[in-house]
Amino acid sequence: MTVTVSLTGRRRRAHVGRSLRIAGGITASLLFLFPVFWMILTSFKQQRDIFTTPPTFLFTPTLETYITYLQRGIIPYQMLNTVIVAFGAGIISIVAGSMAGYALSRLKIRGATFIGVLILMSRGVPPIALAVPMFLVGRSLGLIDKHIILILAYCTFLIPYVMWLMRGFFMALPKELEESAMIDGCSHFGAFFKIIVPISLPGLLSTLIFCVILAWEELLFAIVLTSRNASTIPVAIAGIAGDTVNGANWGALTAVGTLTVIPVVIFAMLVQKWLIQGLADGAVKG
Amino acid sequence: MAILRATQGSARHPRIERLADFASRWAFMTPASVILLAMLAYPIIYTIEISFSELDLSTFTATNWVGWDNYAEVLQDERFWASLKVTGIYLGLALPLQMVLGFAIAYLVNVEWTGRGVIRALFLIPMVVAPVVAGGVWRMLLDPLYGLTNYALGFVGLGPYDWLGNPTLAMMTIVIIDTWRWTPFIVLIATAAILALPRDIFEAAEIDGANWWTTLWSITLPLLLPMIAATFVVRWLGAVKMFDIALASTNGGPGASTQVINLFIYEEAFHSLKFAESAAMAVLVLIATMVLTALFLRGSRMLEEMH
Repeated sequence: MTVTVSLTGRRRRAHVGRSLRIAGGITASLLFLFPVFWMILTSFKQQRDIFTTPPTFLFTPTLETYITYLQRGIIPYQMLNTVIVAFGAGIISIVAGSMAGYALSRLKIRGATFIGVLILMSRGVPPIALAVPMFLVGRSLGLIDKHIILILAYCTFLIPYVMWLMRGFFMALPKELEESAMIDGCSHFGAFFKIIVPISLPGLLSTLIFCVILAWEELLFAIVLTSRNASTIPVAIAGIAGDTVNGANWGALTAVGTLTVIPVVIFAMLVQKWLIQGLADGAVKG
Repeated sequence: MAILRATQGSARHPRIERLADFASRWAFMTPASVILLAMLAYPIIYTIEISFSELDLSTFTATNWVGWDNYAEVLQDERFWASLKVTGIYLGLALPLQMVLGFAIAYLVNVEWTGRGVIRALFLIPMVVAPVVAGGVWRMLLDPLYGLTNYALGFVGLGPYDWLGNPTLAMMTIVIIDTWRWTPFIVLIATAAILALPRDIFEAAEIDGANWWTTLWSITLPLLLPMIAATFVVRWLGAVKMFDIALASTNGGPGASTQVINLFIYEEAFHSLKFAESAAMAVLVLIATMVLTALFLRGSRMLEEMH
């Protein structure tokens, strides 16, 4: 009781502090959200409402920009490319990466620690050091501007990432799972695909979504390795933002930007718990 | 496990059995190894080869061995050094800013109340905005004429600023956009880290009458230090590759005042078609990144052991 009494003054101060922290947290999140809000708002403006001084919040919303850009031009085509490449790279990486991650965590591969160090080091490789040779070799093999080269290029950063995340994930699973399967006569493959994969499905799925998001927004490889046939939305946006000839087309920028961001935000919200956990794990262990 | 299997398949030769077991273990590594050797290891080796060669632009293949010529040329190129300096300034400003802001906001966000989950989820949104979109949208927000930033700053009697036209402000622009895009990432990692701290220590500190500053300075921060170091390394590895934000917002300008090294190498390779010199620069950047990363990792391991 005495403790409680001596703490009441402190508690009240702590209460004020708590409210201040909550207010601070809300303010910070709103500040960080504002540019996204403004982008979406601008995408529904007519050209004359975009270029006003002062900037206007009140206007008659219109779908004009969306209709213009979805009907003509190559934006829808580039969207399709982005989906193909992001999911293609994501799926290949999750299969190859989780198998390797399993080998590293469970199968007593010789040199597993060394491979771990290599994975870490691969994160330090500047993409431009890969993009130059990929462009040169891809050109002589006739692979430039094909989806497959972009998919494989994305695997260079996605596979090490999946390996690392899933390695940690598999290490946390109880060993008895496979041991009993092996006694029942399962091979390593059988144990992995019949026992480990099904119970790891949530982790695998959220890692896949991670990969899709990372591939979705990649620019450097896309700009170097594609020109038209396989070019993706980030390339389109870079083109719109950097268009100095026709001046800034903010309508196009914000409309295409909104279309790019919405699916990813939905994805992120679906797996937010896993996403946060994955981020934290990726940071600590990676 | 090998024993179990051996007894089971006792009819088969134990040696073949062991070999099959070995092969099936390594089979798991095969898909990843093949892709990474072809798309990661081979390109690095090829970059090194190009960096010592002359590149024939009619066939786009490395031809004559020229020794260190490309490196000598690059090292004498003032633009290369200027670009490294720009990258250094960007990293020196952006990384500490993002770390401090990220952990500070995480501290604010971590108060237990009903809306905490929502606030944390909201921080996911800027984090999944493609950097190239972030660059473009901020370019619009910072527009000297129609931009919202100058309009808002006008209320407190500041500006108008020519964000993209002035070299110093353009660097600020890059740092602001990068910070906007990446601070939420640090907030989320930091939130998880703070939540994982042992609670009883804080309760003990409160009973001992420690004020929040003492608690923060002598308990929270030391406990978080290994996590701060790890987050820093992850963020460093991302920031050192920065390319898209600069391309979409300033395109390296005005002049070359925001031309980070990746953007410079990209321009040299794909606009000036100087592939051999670009390869030499890429190799130098690769080595520098590896050395610095190793140092940072060393540092973070040391911090981890200290506490």
